[in-house]
Amino acid sequence: MPGDCMKCRKQCLKWNGVIPMDTTYIENQIEQLKKAIYRQVEHRTLVKYTGDPLVDENQLFYLLLPLLNGDHWDEENYEGVIAVGIVEASLAEHSYIDEHDATSKVQQLTVLSGDYYSGRFYEILANSGNISLIRELSESVILRSEHEIRIYEPNRYAIDDWLETLTIIETECISRFYQLYNYNHYLYIMKKHLLILRLQNELLNYREGNSSLLLQKMMESFQRSEDMNFEHYLQNKIDGLVHQLRELLRTSSMKSELKRYIEERLIRESKER
Amino acid sequence: MEKMKLQKLYSDFKPDIDIIENELEKALQSTSHLLNDASLHLLHAGGKRIRPLFVLMSAKFGNYSIDRMKYAAVPLELIHMGSLVHDDVIDHSNMRRGRPTVRSQWNNRVAMLTGSFIFGRAIQYVTHIENPKAHQILARTMVEICKGEIIQIEDKFRINQNLKDYFRRIKRKTALLIESSCEVGAVVAEADPEVTKRLKRFGYYVGMSYQIVDDVLDFTSTDKQLGKPAGSDLLQGNITLPILLMKNHPKILRFIERASKGIVTEQERLEMLQIVRKSDSIKQALKISDQYLEKAMKEVERLPDNPTKKRLKEIALFIGKRKF
Repeated sequence: MPGDCMKCRKQCLKWNGVIPMDTTYIENQIEQLKKAIYRQVEHRTLVKYTGDPLVDENQLFYLLLPLLNGDHWDEENYEGVIAVGIVEASLAEHSYIDEHDATSKVQQLTVLSGDYYSGRFYEILANSGNISLIRELSESVILRSEHEIRIYEPNRYAIDDWLETLTIIETECISRFYQLYNYNHYLYIMKKHLLILRLQNELLNYREGNSSLLLQKMMESFQRSEDMNFEHYLQNKIDGLVHQLRELLRTSSMKSELKRYIEERLIRESKER
Repeated sequence: MEKMKLQKLYSDFKPDIDIIENELEKALQSTSHLLNDASLHLLHAGGKRIRPLFVLMSAKFGNYSIDRMKYAAVPLELIHMGSLVHDDVIDHSNMRRGRPTVRSQWNNRVAMLTGSFIFGRAIQYVTHIENPKAHQILARTMVEICKGEIIQIEDKFRINQNLKDYFRRIKRKTALLIESSCEVGAVVAEADPEVTKRLKRFGYYVGMSYQIVDDVLDFTSTDKQLGKPAGSDLLQGNITLPILLMKNHPKILRFIERASKGIVTEQERLEMLQIVRKSDSIKQALKISDQYLEKAMKEVERLPDNPTKKRLKEIALFIGKRKF
């Protein structure tokens, strides 16, 4: 059973992919990882005021992808994905801070929840002596901060620069994890898919009149460089990325169940959005 | 003046502190101009650099090498700096060290990203040290500081707190980082475990004294000396030792009540400062600070003979008597 696999890691290492893998199985794995992340950062006051940590199930799926596909996987990897999930949650908390007024108790505790999670990721990896992953994740936090702050800079960036920024925000921590543990064969699929999801989300918000600051910056760059409706441009961009992702999936040696899951996710997310 | 006194005290370490200062500047370099400006803005605002100093002084009881110790000293200061940037968001502070805060010069989101960037750099920097023990100390410290700040928010304007609550809070808020500076310095320099324990305890006692003096200075210093309005702690709802020692004073109780509603006038703030300054609580608080310093001195006495012992004592005394 999937649950036993996590607890009894020896079985996990020997797992040869014979166990039937469907959407429920994958979602159970994601749910277990989510709960493991919650357990590692549980704090009574924070849960009361700021709720559970913000974790993105799509990101969790990609963190678990090597395990699901039967790659080498051990205790260190599982602890690593928990740490990556915590870093993502930390940065997500901080993105909820109001630009001008963070004086409410909830906002103050949101600042601290991000800092607390950040300390916990470091503590977990320090306790197991995983200094390599500490380094990778600290560097990804640095890079993400450098990119996220671009929206407040007076510099004008090209639209492709903004796409690069979005890719880094969505995928840098996972990329570092893949690179450290030699899971690079999933890199392009993960990057394309998470960028598509982010762009779909931005497009939906745009259509609802709630454009993010980043999207507004993209629009400014677009107006200057293209002779095309922005919405149309963004939809074309997404369609192009979806096509590229499908191509990557077609040529990938990944288990067919996982390819199907990613396809389902693409269709489901685009319908939901 | 006070800063000059401190610099004189650590003149032996001046060349190494200069190296740390340069390393701090290098560590804060970013590909983003805005992050450069925001983080260097804070670095150039000064600061006493006591945390790196304690790292270096403690390392003198082991195998000292500035090339190695800088990887411990720089992160300690960066963690402190990062937490200040985020604290200013929490406290909605406009001024720090006489300069506009990152949040007031730009905005809260820029401050959040700047703080995260600085924390990221701190952790990245310390990964040059392979000793897991050093990482465990720093990581635990970061977590405990946050827990302390969470408690501080829960305790805001809570007048029915006791001295134990206060000491527990300042331990996490300040003492732990100074304690860790001493411990990490000793651990990275591979000092004897018994010596490491003594230095750790020394850092804890000095840190407790440091925060008590800080809390006293918030009432006794001028706005100019503080670089922010005197009495800001109480205005923010932080009940510190001088107030806890006179918390039944009716005017102070009324002030806290009004501060919790955000309706304190400038006249009321000045009146509150007068009451606290004239009270016996300042003297009592400083006496408690001295008791911590005495304990710190005892720990120094038990350290093996080393020229740095004298410096540790002098720095500890300076911290207890400082006026900024």
